[in-house]
Amino acid sequence: MAAFVIRRLLWLPVLLFFVSVITFALGLYGPGDPVQVMLGLHANPETIARLRHEYGFDQPFYVQYLNYVSNALHGNFGYSLVKYRDQPVGKLIADRLPVTIQLNLLAILLGVGIGVPLGLIAGLKRDTLIDLAIRAIVIAGISFPIIFLNPVLTFIFSRRHEIAITTAHLNIAIGPLLPMVGGQWDGMFSLKIILPAFIEATGVIAIMTRQMRAGMIEELSMDYVRTARAKGLRERAVVVRHAMRNALIPIVTILGLMLGGLVAGSFLVESWFGVPGVGALAYDALFSRDYYIIMAMVLLIAVAYVIANLVVDVAYGFLDPRIRQSG
Amino acid sequence: MANNGGNRWLIGIAVILVIALVGAICVGAGALIVLTQQGPTAQQTSPGVQGTSPTRAPAAPSTSGGNVLRLPGGSGGGGDPPTLDPALAGDAESAVYVAEIFSGLVALDPNLKVVPDIAKSWDVSPDRTVYTFHLREDVKFQDGRPLTAQDFKYSIERAANPATASPTADTYLGDIVGVKDKLNRKAAEVSGVKVIDNYTLQITIDQPKAYFLAKLTFPASYVVDKNNVERGGQTWTDHPNGTGPYMLKEYVRGQRIVLVKNPNYYGDPKPQVPEIDFILGGGSFMTMYENGDLDSTAVSINDIDRVSDPNSPLNKELYIGPELSTQFVVFNVHKPPFDDPKVRQAFALAIDRQKVVDVVFHKMPLVANTILPPGMPGYVDPGTPPAYDPAQAKQLIAQSKYANNMPDITWTTVGAGGAAAQDIQAMTAMIKDNLGINVSIQQTDWATFIGQLNDPTTNPYQIFDIGWIADYADPQNFLDILFRSNSAQNWAGYSNPQVDALLDQAGLEKDTATRFKLYHQAEQMILADYPVVPLTYSRQYWLTKPYVKGMIYPPLIIERLRYVSLSK
Repeated sequence: MAAFVIRRLLWLPVLLFFVSVITFALGLYGPGDPVQVMLGLHANPETIARLRHEYGFDQPFYVQYLNYVSNALHGNFGYSLVKYRDQPVGKLIADRLPVTIQLNLLAILLGVGIGVPLGLIAGLKRDTLIDLAIRAIVIAGISFPIIFLNPVLTFIFSRRHEIAITTAHLNIAIGPLLPMVGGQWDGMFSLKIILPAFIEATGVIAIMTRQMRAGMIEELSMDYVRTARAKGLRERAVVVRHAMRNALIPIVTILGLMLGGLVAGSFLVESWFGVPGVGALAYDALFSRDYYIIMAMVLLIAVAYVIANLVVDVAYGFLDPRIRQSG
Repeated sequence: MANNGGNRWLIGIAVILVIALVGAICVGAGALIVLTQQGPTAQQTSPGVQGTSPTRAPAAPSTSGGNVLRLPGGSGGGGDPPTLDPALAGDAESAVYVAEIFSGLVALDPNLKVVPDIAKSWDVSPDRTVYTFHLREDVKFQDGRPLTAQDFKYSIERAANPATASPTADTYLGDIVGVKDKLNRKAAEVSGVKVIDNYTLQITIDQPKAYFLAKLTFPASYVVDKNNVERGGQTWTDHPNGTGPYMLKEYVRGQRIVLVKNPNYYGDPKPQVPEIDFILGGGSFMTMYENGDLDSTAVSINDIDRVSDPNSPLNKELYIGPELSTQFVVFNVHKPPFDDPKVRQAFALAIDRQKVVDVVFHKMPLVANTILPPGMPGYVDPGTPPAYDPAQAKQLIAQSKYANNMPDITWTTVGAGGAAAQDIQAMTAMIKDNLGINVSIQQTDWATFIGQLNDPTTNPYQIFDIGWIADYADPQNFLDILFRSNSAQNWAGYSNPQVDALLDQAGLEKDTATRFKLYHQAEQMILADYPVVPLTYSRQYWLTKPYVKGMIYPPLIIERLRYVSLSK
């Protein structure tokens, strides 16, 4: 097992090399460039040339790439070019990463905590009204896009509602139940996180429910379940010890991959609720060609997915001896 | 059970699931508690939030009292400013803060007139190239250090230092003798800036320019503290030491910028509101405003009908004002079919601009019929609405050299997603209906778009839409920059020697009335050639709580917050 882990980790630098070269080249040879975004509509050819020279963008690709790698290996991931001029990229990301991780972690917990039990019930009560209801919820979760959920749920939960009952001279004001983040991030245990986390979780809930339901239906039709029932095992034991355990294997895979996504923020949710995470940062960086922020985010996400994949593969070995890696 | 190890994992996963579920339930219960427990507790946790109250208390006090003004970040959209460094600030989002924290020789007053700031007066040489500024002697940096002319010399040298990589120095300081040489590493010092004594500064420019003082109101020439810059290193603006009416107290990126009164401020009036909080998280400022968590907010097109309704209580808090910007449809005069002026004119006549404004924009902007927007010095009201004449447009197409061989036309616009902006769709539909010409729409992102536009000689776009916002209040800023032959911002690729001659003449003219007359002539001449169709003049829509007094909404970014007071 140790050898397996080491072998996988040895591939990491190779992967990072390819990811970084491709990202760097896309930035350099793709349309648009940070100097032009910085200058906006006031660009003139001399200013563009002067600033490109000051930033070294007029040097050959390999020189720029090697400079970047050499700085990165020394812990310097460059400075923001456009959105946060001259701020070190490492610090910009480090400041925002914990926020995104907290939000995503809660979203995944909500997704699993709601999705898996729903899927389990739906699978057990297949084709009953309960199953139908759960499937309807899942379809809704997948179908409503975040850009729709954001304003609707905000309107319901984050707004002050005033109801005037003129006959009784009453003005009733309710809410807001869940305040917006609005300039003050209070961490994971604040009411402010619920709406953004729930909206991010809607997709997870749907995926988990579907997977769990399909898994349960499949496992319950297997021969070993019939055997277990035939030998007189109680239904609870058949479901919990046998069928559910096997149905959870793909859930662990999905969950593992989602852990890789912990460090990638959701722009739509973060920007709507004013959550100061990396999603909004990465989005701004992409559209302003803030190269070094993009590079750092891509590398970070690549590393996170490699580690998440590794964790999944190792966990598989524990869950199912048939796919255990030989050392 | 053959495998006990697996069993342990199963139990582990089950435990995690249970914890997650319990967590979710707790969180859900938390929401319910707030629902039933509103009142004092809810008020303490979030300022300005009111709980359920059977009768609404008159003028319910917000926890912020009269001490804090809460505004949306930047020019209303939230988001972080790209920089707080005056030498680097070239965008409106940065200028909002830079204009409050720093100050310069001259400033624009709320009526957009150039007025003395740190320079109490100035003399101009007879040939109008040497400006001698006499500085106030009572100006201190926010840390208490007295300011001298040396500080201005340092600040301009720094902005012109190529290592500063200022994106604005060419445009705003480039008229000063020696600035371009220093930027291009041909000189070590800016020869055109001389310190005569502690309170006298002399600036020499390359030729007489009526708009030079207007350019000095821009942040590029604002004064910075040498000690602050040199000790602070690359991130010195995290703790800026300026001379403006407000000081930076706190900046949490992505969350808020907090400004506080500068006790050393020299100007009059002094700042009144002790603290101003800018909220940087974006997207939902309207909700925050209605909840009482913000004191002012810009209004988006989604809320415009609701807010414009005279019966809405919000309508009494609404301000509408000019923005000094014009949106254009631009024809690339080098690309067929728009190299034929008849086609350009036909397109202009086939677009019902008033309808676009009324239907698509809900009348938020005003329909445009000139290049200079209303409010801009030199603007002349044409008195007539823009011409819309499909019959004549059809005739023009028939007379054009593309009457029988109209090439494919693609309209390029900034945007993403399944459908292009509605105004573009409306206009291409009008062209289709009125002229029978199919115009396809190509969406692109901003970075790609300006990358192409920034070189007018290779601009591949045939027809596109773009806006221009005034940098300083002078007609030169629109007409010269957008329509002079070979100007980098001449997106249409338009060239008319007569227009160039008029613009030259206007630039040198001393008498303001005559200058504006010359600019008006040039504008008429440009419009007759149809390199662009002026589409709309943008306007600002702001909601502001009635207890906020003295708020001004200048069409240009100027220092303005010291005029504001709160009466709660």
